[in-house]
This record gives sequence, C-alpha cells and structure tokens, in this order.
Amino acid sequence: MTGFSLAERARLQNASVLLIGLGGLGSPIALQLAAAGVGRLGLCDPDEVDLSNLQRQVAHGDPDVGRPKIESAAAKLWSIRPELQLDLIKEPLTSSNALDLFRTVDLIVDGSDNFATRYLANDAAFLTGKPLVHGSISRWDGQVSVFATGGPCYRCLHPEPPPPGSVPSCAEAGVIGILPGTIGSVMAMEAIKWLLGRGAPLQGRVLTYNALWQEWGELRLRPRLDCPLCGPNPTLTKLIDYEQFCGGMLG
Amino acid sequence: MSLSESEILRFSRHIILREVGGRGQKRLKGAHVLVAGLGSAGSSAALYLKAAGIGAMTLWDDGVVSSGDLAGSVVHAQERIGMARARSAAFTLARLYQEGELTVLDRETDLLMGLAAFDAILLANGPWEAIIQEAERLGIPVVLTAAHRGEGAVTVIAPDGPCFGCMPERLRLLAGLYQEEGDGAVAPAAGVVGTMAAAEVLKRLLGVGEGLAGRILRWDGWDATVHEFAWGENCVHKTEKA
Repeated sequence: MTGFSLAERARLQNASVLLIGLGGLGSPIALQLAAAGVGRLGLCDPDEVDLSNLQRQVAHGDPDVGRPKIESAAAKLWSIRPELQLDLIKEPLTSSNALDLFRTVDLIVDGSDNFATRYLANDAAFLTGKPLVHGSISRWDGQVSVFATGGPCYRCLHPEPPPPGSVPSCAEAGVIGILPGTIGSVMAMEAIKWLLGRGAPLQGRVLTYNALWQEWGELRLRPRLDCPLCGPNPTLTKLIDYEQFCGGMLG
Repeated sequence: MSLSESEILRFSRHIILREVGGRGQKRLKGAHVLVAGLGSAGSSAALYLKAAGIGAMTLWDDGVVSSGDLAGSVVHAQERIGMARARSAAFTLARLYQEGELTVLDRETDLLMGLAAFDAILLANGPWEAIIQEAERLGIPVVLTAAHRGEGAVTVIAPDGPCFGCMPERLRLLAGLYQEEGDGAVAPAAGVVGTMAAAEVLKRLLGVGEGLAGRILRWDGWDATVHEFAWGENCVHKTEKA
C-alpha cells in the first residue's frame, strides 16, 4: 500500500529527521515524512502561525492563528500517525544549538526562509557529517539539492550571501501558494531516498522548477576547490555569526 | 465579488504576484472546482487548492478512508478511518479555511450529472472516461493526474488543446496516467504531482503561464527526473474547436 518494502518500512521507522522551519516548505515535508512512516521527527521553529501563512502553510489552519507553529503542526501530524515520535524545539536554529541538534539525528531538512539559517544549517551539517536536504522558493520558482559528505555544499552553490536587500523575501516578492507544496514534496522524497539508500539522490545536482511554465531543469554542481567549508583546504572549522555574515539581513 | 480585509491579508503573498493580483484572487474566490479522487495525489491537490482561496470546491470519492490511505495521503486522519474519503477530506479543508463552500459527493451518478457547474476539474480518481467525455462536451478543462509508488504524471485536457481521444493509450500508460487498485503511492511523489496538477488548475483559472494541454509531465521521484511527452499534435478536433 505504501510503495515501500517491509525492510524499507522498518528502516524509516528507525530513522530520525530534524526539520528546520514549519512554514511553507516545512508543512508538506512534515506531513509527508509522517505519512511515509519516518519514526522520529524534530520540529524546529520559533514562530507562531500568522494569517498570511495560511495561503501555503497547510500544516496549519484557521484555529491555529497565534499558536506556535511546532504545536499546530504536531497536532496535525499526530492526527495522521498517533505513534509518531516528535521533538518540539521552539527555538530558532542558532550557532549555539545547531551542532547538538544535528548530532542526534540521521538527516536534516532545511525548510527555512532566510540566508543566515541556510548557511548555518549547511555548515553545521557538514561539521557534524550529516546529510542536508536544501530547498528554496520565490514567486513561481523553486530549487532542491542535497548536501552531504564529499560535497558539494551550499557554499559551493552560493559562495557569498547576497547583499542585504538584494533578494526579496516571500513577503516582498510573493509566492504562489502551491509552489512550496511541490518543492517541499521533492525535498521529502529526497529525505526518504537518502534514509533508504535508494534511487539517485540530488547530491551534486540542483533541481529547478518553474510552476508558471511547468519547466523543470537540472544544474550540475561540483565541489569548489576553494570552498572554505568542504574544499581541500578548509578555513571554516567551526560555526560563525551568521547574522553578521549575511549582513544582518533576514529573508 | 470583493475581498475582505482579512482576505487581503490572508492572500497577500498572492496579491503581490503580478500573475495573480487582487483581480486574480477574486477570480479564484469566484471559481468552483471539482476534485475527483481523494487518494494520495488528489489529497495534496485539494489541500493546496483550498489554501489558495478557491471559493467553492466539490470533493468526490466513492471510497472510505483506510489505514493504507494514511500512508500516502495528507488530508485524512486516524480517527476518520472508515469515513467516506470525500467527507474526511472536507473536515481537513474546512479547518484549514472555514470560508468558502465545500460540497461532498460519494455517488458516481451525482458526479456526472452536475459537471456543468465547474470551472475546472482535477481528476485523480473516478470514472475517468465518463468525466472527461462529459467535460469535453461542456468545454470544461480537466487536469488529469495519477501517482504510483515513487512516480506520477500530470496532463491537461482542455478546449484549447488536443482532445482525450487523441492521447495515445500506449503513451498514457507509459507515462503512468492510469488508475490502480490500492493507490500505492509514496506520499511525497503523490505530493509532487498532486500540487503540479493544482498549479495547472490555478493557472487555468487565472489565465496565466503555459499549461500542460498536449504535454504529459512524468515525475520519477527515485531518480528526481522529469520527462515530458507531447501528445495530440495531429488532433483534428483541436483545429475544429479553434
């Protein structure tokens, strides 16, 4: 019924995934990983549900406005799978909690919406040797990739953060509500593939999608020799101040 | 049809998109969409169409929620096992957004008689051929989707594209556009094609972008690849319609 063998189901049941962000991307990722049978999910998000979230963040609903996103999502996930183990972390991911959070899980999925968190998640995943599923969305466009030991990493894709204010947030640029559903689903699939060791993961590949034109594309991403994190001569050996690194710009 | 202050806030991320705007959001609010089949792909589609602000939705399915459904679909709940699937989905959709009309159908005859009411049809399960035939007669666009295991596909049958009769059956089966007993899809793969299908419905209603009329997109989740198949290039009915 589920598309998995018995052995695969057991593997998913024993797996533990940390999900950063329970917003547009995090909603479908959490719902689908729960439905697919992942045993343990860590939900990390400091925010409360806002009315303007509900056009795309389908783990939440009208009665959840004002409620912490992790609680609202947890209720929804338990309604699908009451036996699901959840760790609720009502904190932002920071340089002080990231390594500890990452060490205890098998895989991290980054559903965050800002550059500081993406660089932090990337660095912390690399330093702890954990695979990271990356995704991002804006307007009608999205992309997905997987960063893991051996590289490439997010810093190979974007060596420098964009200048503050040069990339608009979802609030400024808008986003079609269905897009995070598609991109988040691709991310959830990548997580499952990695946990099962099945299929061709998006490591070294960036899958791109435009919903307006229904166009999918793929970029080959090679590890950069001068990457300060995953390159042969790393200069980044511990976490830094990511707010400062990204110019204090969130989103 | 106007938007309230709370609707303007709720749909603000849509309204600032050039392709949607206040006008487009009002169009979505004024639209009536049928989702036929609340299994894996249909569930994701219904959830996102409701969230996007479709004003009136009709949900059709002739099955009941099983424990297997919970493994592939995201609108049902453990406590609703045994309930009609369309009714179970309506619960989740109403909680997501209490405004708007939701109609639940579980009989095939009710479904086929009322098709004229819809602006677009998302067909994930049900009597495919009868629905498509009637929709073609009425000039209503149909977004067809199916998911199996880690794969799925989407296409559009619309008045401005080739007709269903000109979609080669061999291609349709090759692409994975067929119904299967048991709905054995991996949840995220169904999520990918279900939301792509929902995007097609929105674009149709908004009149923007390039749709999938005459194109089948096939998603393979295990490879993370997409294949596109063109169909109906020589459809004479398309020329007649144009």
